[in-house]
Amino acid sequence: MGIVLDRKELIKYPFLKESQQLARRHVESLEEFLGSSPGDAALERAKERVVAALTFKKEFQDENTQNLKPELEIASYAIARLLVSCVGDRSLVDRLARYEAERASFFLAAEEPEIRRFVAWSVGIDTGAAAMPVTRYVELVPHLRDRRWRLVNRDVRQGGVNLEPGEIDELIRERIRAIIADQLPLRVPAGICERLAPVTGEIAALQQQQVLEQFGEVREEAFPPCISALIQAITAGTNLTHMGRFAITSFLHTIGMNVAQIADVFARAPDFDPDMTMYQVEHISGRGGTEYTPPSCATMRTFGLCANRDRDCERVNHPLSYYRLKKNIKKKRS
Amino acid sequence: MKPATLEFVKQRFAEYYQRQNLTVPSSLEQREWGFIFFDAAAEVRMRRHMAFADPEELGAYVKSLVPAHVYYSTAYYQTPSAPTMNEKHWAGADLIFDLDADHIVRGPYAMMLARVKEETEKLLAMLTDELGFARSQIRIAFSGGRGYHIHVTDIAVRGWGSQERREIVDYVCGIGLDPAAMLAPGGGETESDLRSDRAGAEGARTGWRRRYVETLRAHLLDLAARDPAEATAYLAGLDGIGKRTAAEFLADIGSLAAGAPEDLLKNRVVRALTAAPGFEERLRDAGARADEPVTTDIKRLIRTPGSLHGGSGMRVVPLDIRDFADFDPLVDAVVFGDRDVRVDLKANFATSLLGNTYSLDAGIRNVPEALAIFLCCRGVAEIAGGA
Repeated sequence: MGIVLDRKELIKYPFLKESQQLARRHVESLEEFLGSSPGDAALERAKERVVAALTFKKEFQDENTQNLKPELEIASYAIARLLVSCVGDRSLVDRLARYEAERASFFLAAEEPEIRRFVAWSVGIDTGAAAMPVTRYVELVPHLRDRRWRLVNRDVRQGGVNLEPGEIDELIRERIRAIIADQLPLRVPAGICERLAPVTGEIAALQQQQVLEQFGEVREEAFPPCISALIQAITAGTNLTHMGRFAITSFLHTIGMNVAQIADVFARAPDFDPDMTMYQVEHISGRGGTEYTPPSCATMRTFGLCANRDRDCERVNHPLSYYRLKKNIKKKRS
Repeated sequence: MKPATLEFVKQRFAEYYQRQNLTVPSSLEQREWGFIFFDAAAEVRMRRHMAFADPEELGAYVKSLVPAHVYYSTAYYQTPSAPTMNEKHWAGADLIFDLDADHIVRGPYAMMLARVKEETEKLLAMLTDELGFARSQIRIAFSGGRGYHIHVTDIAVRGWGSQERREIVDYVCGIGLDPAAMLAPGGGETESDLRSDRAGAEGARTGWRRRYVETLRAHLLDLAARDPAEATAYLAGLDGIGKRTAAEFLADIGSLAAGAPEDLLKNRVVRALTAAPGFEERLRDAGARADEPVTTDIKRLIRTPGSLHGGSGMRVVPLDIRDFADFDPLVDAVVFGDRDVRVDLKANFATSLLGNTYSLDAGIRNVPEALAIFLCCRGVAEIAGGA
C-alpha cells in the first residue's frame, strides 16, 4: 500500500514495522541508550505504559499530546516490552498486549479511512470485505470471550463469515493484541534486565497488589462446582487425569495460591506423593518459564471435567469468572 | 485369543499385507508411526515414535512384522522419531474428525454403522457447503471399527492449535449455540424480504440459524402433539414456569411456532425450553456428533487407511467424498474370502457380512473365512481343531 505515515501518526501505532524502523534509527546501542537522559525519559514513559496496562486504562486522549519526541515515545513501547519480559509473568504480558491494542484501537476509531485501512492491512485484515474466510476468522477469535464471536453463532455461508458493521474494528484490536502477545516475552539479556531491575521491581509489586485486590483471600466456598468436584476427587483418593490435575493447579495458582498452598490441597489425597506433586505444581504454575492459564468451561466440558453445573455456570464461560462472580456476591451480602 | 487363533489371524493379515499396500499419507517423512502387535503381552503396548523415509521402508516393515493395528500421526514433525513430543518439534497437523458409533447409539453392529454414516454425511455437508472446505482437500476413511475418520488436509488449517480447531468442532457439533444469535432477524436477507414473504425469508436462513429454527419449531410442535396434561407437567417442571403459564402457552403454541423466529425468544416459556436438556439433545441431533477431543488434539495418532483393524479384521478403507454414499462397510471393508473355517463360537451371535445375514448359535461350526476372521478378532470365537 502506497501510504507513508508521518511521525505523529506512527506514535499511535508503535507496533508497526515503520514505527520500529524510526525508533531504531535513533537508538544504536540499547545499553548506551538506557544510560542516557533521553533513555531515562523513554524508560519513565515505558513504566507509565505498563502501569496503565495494569490499571486497565481506557482513555488515551492525553497521550496524543505527550511532549516526548516521537522516536522516544516509540522507544518507550519497545522498553515496555522489555520490562514485562524481564518480569516474565504471562498475565502481565497479556495486560500489556491488551493495553497496546486498546490504545491503537482508540486512535484508529478517529483515524482517516486510508490510514485505518493501512494499519488493518499491516496486521492482515481487509477492512473492505463484508465477509471473512472461515479459516481466517477462527484464527482471530479464540480469545474473544463473548458468545457472539463463536463460529457456531455466526452467519456462515460458503466458507465466509458475515460481519456486522463495527465488528471489523473489534477484530483489528484483537489481532493487534494477539500479535503483540505472541511476540512476548522477548529473550532479554540478563544485563539489561539487571539494569531495569528497579523499575521491574516496582511493577512486580504493583501487580502482586492487584492480584490480591482482585481475588483477595482464597475462599473455597466460592469455587465453581467443577473445581470443588476435583478437590473432592483428590480427597477421595481418585486418580485425576492429567487434564484434571492441570485444571485444578492452574486455577488455584491464578487465584493467588502459592506452590506450597496448592501442594496442601493435593496432600489431602491418601496416596500423596510430595515430590511428584511439587514438581507438577511448579511446572504448571510457571516455574518452568511458561505460565498456564486455567482451562475455560468449553475445555472443561470437552475433557469431561465440567461436573455439577449449576445456574451460575450459565452466566460464565470460565471457571475463574464463576469464582469472581460468586465472591463478589458474597462480599456484597456480608 | 488362543495361540491357534492368533496364528490363524496373523497369517491372514500377513497374506493381506503381501498383496495390499498402505495408503501412504502426504509428507510421510514428517509423520510419526505407531503399531500394536498380535503377540504383545496381556497389556497392549504400542510401539510408537517410529518414522519411515519412504513408502518402501514402511511397506517392508509392515510386511515383515504384520501388526494388528497401524497408526500414523495427524501431525507433521521435524523429527517424528524423537522419543518425546518436545523433541519432535511439531510443525502442523491435519484437521481430523472422528465419528464413532459408540458415542452415538447402541444396538446391532449394522444399525450402528448405518447411523454413524448419516452423522458423517451431515458433517461432510457442513464442511463443504457451510465452512467452505474444498472437496479435493477432504479424505474419508472407514475406521475398520464402528465409524469414520475425516481428514482435512487444507494447508490453511495446518498451523492451527487446539483453540482454532475447537471453533470448528463446536460448529459441526452445535456446541455453545446462543439462542439470541440463532433467532435474530436478518442474516443476508434484506429487511423487505423478511416483511414481504415469510417463506422466502426462511429459505435465506442457512447453517445453524436454519437448523436452530427448524429444531425449535419441531420441538414446539411435538409438545403441542403430546397429551396436554403431560405437556403441561413437563413445562411446569422447567425453571420459573408455573402451571398456568404452561397451560396458556400450550393453547398458543401453534401460532407461536408459525410466527417469526425473532418473536420466539420474547416468550418466557420458549426461553426456558431452549435452556432445558431435552432441547439441547435435539440440537445435538441436528449437528454432527463428532468426538470433540479427537479434533482438538493436535498430536493424535490415527488409523492408517489401507491397514487392517485388529479388533475386527476389517479394512480401514480410504474413501473419496464421491464414493461415500455408496460405501457399505459390511461388504466393502471385508477383505477375506469364503473358504470354510471351523470356529468355536463362545456365544450366540448375529451379524451380516458380504450380503449374507448370519444368526449363529454358540458351539463349533464352519463359517466363511471372512466371518471367521471377524469373529476371532472381535474375541467371540476361537479357531476349532480339526477340519
